[in-house]
Amino acid sequence: MIGRVLITLLVVVVALISYPGALLVSLATRLTPAPNAPAGREGALPWLHVAHPADGRPYIADDQGRIVMLHGAIPAGLIDFWTGPDQSQPNVPPLYPIDPTEYDGGQCPANSSLSRYPPFCRADVEAMATLGFNSIRLPISWSLLEPARGHFSQTYIARVAQVIEWAKSAQMYVIIDMHQNGYSRYVGPGDDVNLSYLSGAPRWATITDGFPSRVFLGQRELNPAVFEAASNFWYDRAGIQDEYIAAVALIAQRFKDESVVAGYSIFNEPWPGWNLPPGFEDLLLFPFYRRVIDAITGVRDGTPCWSGFFMPAPCGYRDLGVRDQRHLIFLDTGLLREVTDFPTHLGLPVSSYPNLVLALHTYTHEYTFDKLVGQTPDQATYPWGGYDQSYVFADREARAMDAALFVAEVGAPPQWDYLMTANQLTEQDRQRIGFAFWTWKENGGKDSWGIFNPPGSPPESSGCLRAARERLLARVFPKASGDRNLRYSYDPGTGGFALAATGQTGAPATMVYIPPEVRGEVSTGGGVHGSIATNTDGSRVVTALPTGGPFRVSVAPQSLALTGC
Amino acid sequence: MRDRAATRALVLGLLALPFGVLAPFAIWSGIHSLRRIRASDGELRGTSSAGAGLIAGLVGLSAFLIGTSYWLLAS
Repeated sequence: MIGRVLITLLVVVVALISYPGALLVSLATRLTPAPNAPAGREGALPWLHVAHPADGRPYIADDQGRIVMLHGAIPAGLIDFWTGPDQSQPNVPPLYPIDPTEYDGGQCPANSSLSRYPPFCRADVEAMATLGFNSIRLPISWSLLEPARGHFSQTYIARVAQVIEWAKSAQMYVIIDMHQNGYSRYVGPGDDVNLSYLSGAPRWATITDGFPSRVFLGQRELNPAVFEAASNFWYDRAGIQDEYIAAVALIAQRFKDESVVAGYSIFNEPWPGWNLPPGFEDLLLFPFYRRVIDAITGVRDGTPCWSGFFMPAPCGYRDLGVRDQRHLIFLDTGLLREVTDFPTHLGLPVSSYPNLVLALHTYTHEYTFDKLVGQTPDQATYPWGGYDQSYVFADREARAMDAALFVAEVGAPPQWDYLMTANQLTEQDRQRIGFAFWTWKENGGKDSWGIFNPPGSPPESSGCLRAARERLLARVFPKASGDRNLRYSYDPGTGGFALAATGQTGAPATMVYIPPEVRGEVSTGGGVHGSIATNTDGSRVVTALPTGGPFRVSVAPQSLALTGC
Repeated sequence: MRDRAATRALVLGLLALPFGVLAPFAIWSGIHSLRRIRASDGELRGTSSAGAGLIAGLVGLSAFLIGTSYWLLAS
């Protein structure tokens, strides 16, 4: 009899903490009414939210309900990558100052070849705006935010706030990205380990249990110490996940009333450690996201649970009192999706919080299977669905999760721009998805991934703007439109642009941005009243006010006025 | 004597809860074991384990099917 009870109890417990329990909690979030966002202060920029049409994919919208396209880049200057000449000294402080006063008044610390990335300064934000970018994905590091357990760096938070003020001046949104690569630089040096590629957790939250730090197959994540440290995070060993949630909550509290902050990217490129998909995503990663959302928004989607050690999938999290219900929350897919270009999990609903954005990293031919077996992008036999594959699946994932979609990272080696970057951007236009380009500036040789050439001589922060990238990235696009089903395409070869949309009289305007590089004549037609404003930098903005029915906005092909080299 | 298939069914059933693809094997083992125990006229034991494995397998399979169906319908 006792044995029978114990066996029954065992089955029930295992069911509750694994897929059956996770599924019940996930599906319950679809039945839970979304919280009503409290009215807050007007912001410097319109507050963004996720709109949920009954017959289509959710999308990022502004206060007029218009679909909003975020175009931007990712500066790496605030990331705590290891820097230095000697990897046997892994605990070096950040190379560039984190004290914001060092950047006041347009100051910029000297660039250093010891770092893979230049410092991020005010002039960079202004240069981003010149390319037509309306957003910055700003990666920050947990190791600098909470260098000692329970002790947060107000200096680092002030540095983040400084960048947000710069963005505000340039009318750009900021996505604050809790960044990591290979879990942490504190996994330590070892065979083939390049510490300057690792960032994320502070030393005290990097529990490797003595596993050696050694890279296999040239992939920074294929390192036993990274596997173990990442797994310990997902299992909340020693309460480190609780500390992380508290760190995110601190950031959310600081910027709760700031509309320039579009939202928070909770965890960059999550690596499963020893766990396998789909269980990693469905039972560890997305439940972790739900807990962070519970903590900072005050919604109560997970079940009440303990904290401080392993929290099974159904576990929610206590309200940490921030009650931030006006920001977007970006949820990165598991890192292995970058290899497959298709979903590695079931795509279950995460939370009843409505402002969720599924954040895709699209590195087709760079991290996908074909690259791993040595194929070049122009001769790759995978993905079978081409560049389209990742986006078609992502569209379905986002719908299933009731989330908007955003490409939180896209990038490529510069020599493949004509193929990889060009195709990715075309797909994003086709799918009406914004992007953040990795990376803004990078030191190193000609193969570095920055939008600018590496500096010719230190301490310059960069060389000239790469003309091929200027051609692709300084593009005509609708910054906002009242028609979420609009269609548009841009040809970076000719500068030609065509947009087709529909709108009733009095519907919100469609705003088309035309960078200074594009010189073609603008025309509008159909049910629209169009006006063109020219900015001081030579860029133009077309305001298309619908007067009823279908309308179009186009820019005639004309040679581009590129400024890059 | 304990039926070895009963233990196998229980282990597979428990594993089928996080790994749904194992559910058919748990169900098959559970049914197979229950039949053998019933046919043994009391010689074989393990009804609880076999039954639990069968039920866990069914729950795991249901979760797998519901999750997959949700994905297909909602996406």
